[in-house]
Formats: sequence, structure tokens, C-alpha cells
Amino acid sequence: MLLMLNLFHKNLAKVEPFHQLKFLHTTLSRKGLEEFFDDPRNWGEKNVKSGDAWNIKQLRGKSSEDLHKLWYVLLKEKNMLLTLEQESKRQLRPMPSPERLEKVEKSMKNIDLVVREREIALRLLQTGHEKPVPGEWRNDFLGRTYWYTYKEWPIPWYLNKKYKKRKFYYLPHVNHFIRLRLEKSLRRRVRRQNLEKTRQKVLERKFPHLAVKSQS
Amino acid sequence: MRLSALLCAGRLRLPPGYRHGTWRPDTAAAQHRNPPGLRRRKIFVEPIAEEDWKVFRGDTVQVLAGKDAGKQAMVTQVVRARNWVVVEGLNTHYRYVNRTAKYAGTYIASEAPLLLSQISLVDPEDRKPTEVEWRYTEEGERVRVSLRSGRIIPLPLWQRWDGIVPEQWIDGPKDTAVEDALDKTYLPSLKTFEEEIMDAMGIVETRRAKKSYWY
Repeated sequence: MLLMLNLFHKNLAKVEPFHQLKFLHTTLSRKGLEEFFDDPRNWGEKNVKSGDAWNIKQLRGKSSEDLHKLWYVLLKEKNMLLTLEQESKRQLRPMPSPERLEKVEKSMKNIDLVVREREIALRLLQTGHEKPVPGEWRNDFLGRTYWYTYKEWPIPWYLNKKYKKRKFYYLPHVNHFIRLRLEKSLRRRVRRQNLEKTRQKVLERKFPHLAVKSQS
Repeated sequence: MRLSALLCAGRLRLPPGYRHGTWRPDTAAAQHRNPPGLRRRKIFVEPIAEEDWKVFRGDTVQVLAGKDAGKQAMVTQVVRARNWVVVEGLNTHYRYVNRTAKYAGTYIASEAPLLLSQISLVDPEDRKPTEVEWRYTEEGERVRVSLRSGRIIPLPLWQRWDGIVPEQWIDGPKDTAVEDALDKTYLPSLKTFEEEIMDAMGIVETRRAKKSYWY
């Protein structure tokens, strides 16, 4: 495994055993692999203190450069935590403070959201469109209507054999099945509404003041 | 704003007939009692809107019905899905915990949840049960007002779920300081994120994209 690879054999290193990881050389950073591991002072701890995740409100006030740098900082931290998680599974021990991983993932998701919001705002201003990729409503061969997003191709559609095989229309015999599907959806909607009405009646029977309020 | 509102609903999705207990849905006990595919008889709960909810954890309430009627204590747990309130030390029954083959177990008193109708909030100065309403002060703050005397019942101190008090927090080596986190460096511009990063890093894109077709 990683620990068995003796990358530091050229240096005379002192070897210290730790509770969580086995013998590891504590030399200067070689090849940057020490970034996959936590601060050596935290090795063997049961709980590691960590602050809150980054809030969306805080991130909305940051410039693109700051967000870019923060993303990579969080990515490195996530890699470190994932190695820690895997090593704890391997050693059949509980991972110290797994909520750190959730916080990092939440922060990264928030950064992604902020960047996407800004992109959508700019696109709305410049083009008036919200979606990054254009599309249109199309029918498939079963008669269903769905939103088809355009894809990027190197050749025009009339030369694209795979695309020409796809059917974006339906034949007349499908109309019968469209009608059946419509009836099914109507029946489901009516069933749902009836269920809500019966539930409301039962609630009014159990809690009479609700019936009085709805009348007044 | 719209995108984050749409994607915010990524929390745990519970099945439609889920029966809530006093445990949180992501704990092992809750998962043991509610395995997937379980269908139990539906329990009808009086629907109370979220903004009309009056009782919070840490509030002092008086029990009006049951074994410990007339006693006051603090609320330790609230389960809004069942309109339940668990009050400290009241409405208890006794059970054994940590039972093993050799050891009979510890005999402890465990509190049973009480419904909202069996509970009443207490006036802070009178210390008598009152009816409470949500009203707005002159400053515009939404407060709970006792109907009998008109006094404001202050909200209990809200603690974070992990017990951390932000004012007393000491930053670790990997934590950002409060001023740095709240520091606003964003300057709105008509450049996309990628373009701004390219400007900052001095990347110049001289390649031209080949003609592609969108369909």
C-alpha cells in the first residue's frame, strides 16, 4: 500500500509510530504527498475540531479569483479526508470527525451554485436565455412530448446516420395509446384529489375546530 | 437566487407513510423501526402551519393533562411531524437499558412525548399557563405575546445542533477568520467566471474552435 512505498529511502529519516497510521517518515515534503494527509499533530486523535461550512451568502461576496482558489483548497482537503476515510475503513476504525467531509462537500456545492447563478444572470442580460444549451419540445415515437436539449456534433444533421435513425414523430396508430395514457393520468389525479378530500374529512371529524374554521 | 432555491431541497426524502418517532430519521434506531417498504396505519395529526408554531426547545411549559398535570418543566425535544413535545422529567415511564445476557440493565425513567394540546406555554412573570399568539412589535419583530396579560414571552436561546457557540469559537489552523470570510471582494462585471480567471492568470486563448453543429 502507499505506506509500504519507501519514497524517502535516500534521506536518513526518523521513524515514529502513530496510533492511526503505521510507521511513516517525517521528512520534508517530497513529491507533495504529505498534502494527502492531515497535520501530523492530528494523527491518532478521536475528534478533530473544524469550523462551519462556507455559507452561500459569504461566497456571493467573493470575487471569481477567490472562489477559484477556494475551490482548489477545498478539493485538496476533500482528497485528504477521503484518504483518511479509506484508511479508517481498511484499519476497521471509526473515522475521526466525519462531519468535516460533509462540510467540505457542502462548501464546494455552494461555490458551484454561486458560479452558476452569476453565469445565468450574465446570460439573461446578454441573450435573454436562462439555459446554457438551447433546446425545444419534441415528440418521441411513443407520442410523449419532452424537452430535447441540443447536442454538439461535428457534422450537420443530414450527414449524421445515428441522428437520422432517431424518430421525433409518431405514427397515427399511437393516438389510441396517447388517449389511454391521458385517461390514466386523469384517473390518478382524481384519485389523489379524492384521497385528499377523505383525509380532510377525517381530520375535521377528529379535530372539529378545523371544520368550523373552514366554514367561517 | 432561483437556482439555489430549487436545489436546496436535497435533504432526506422520507416515504409517504413514514411514522415519526422520537428519534431523528437518519439514526440507526429510526431506520430499524422504519425499514423501507414498511406500511403502517396512518396517524392523523392536527395540521399546524410552520409560522404558527409556538413551542421551541428550551421553553418552559406546563403540563395540563396526564400523570404530571400541573407541573412545569423545560422542553427537551420537539417533533413537529407528530405535534409532539418531550418535557424533561415529566410524563415518565420506567424501563431497563443496556441489558446484556448477564446484566439485567439500568432502570431509568424515560419521558413520553406529550401532544401540543396537553401543553401550555407559561407567562414569564406570572408563571401561570396562558394562551399565546404571534404578534409584531413596533420595531417589526415577531414575538410571542401572552393573551391574558399582554407580556412578551422571549424565545429560548437557540443552540446549534453540535453545541458550538459561535462567539466563543477559537479558529483552528484551517479555519478562515470571520473578517476574511465576510470580506466582500466581488466586483460585478460583464465577464464570465472563466474569462475573469483567464485574465487573472494571464491565459490567452489563441486557438479557434472548429465549426460545430447544434441539433
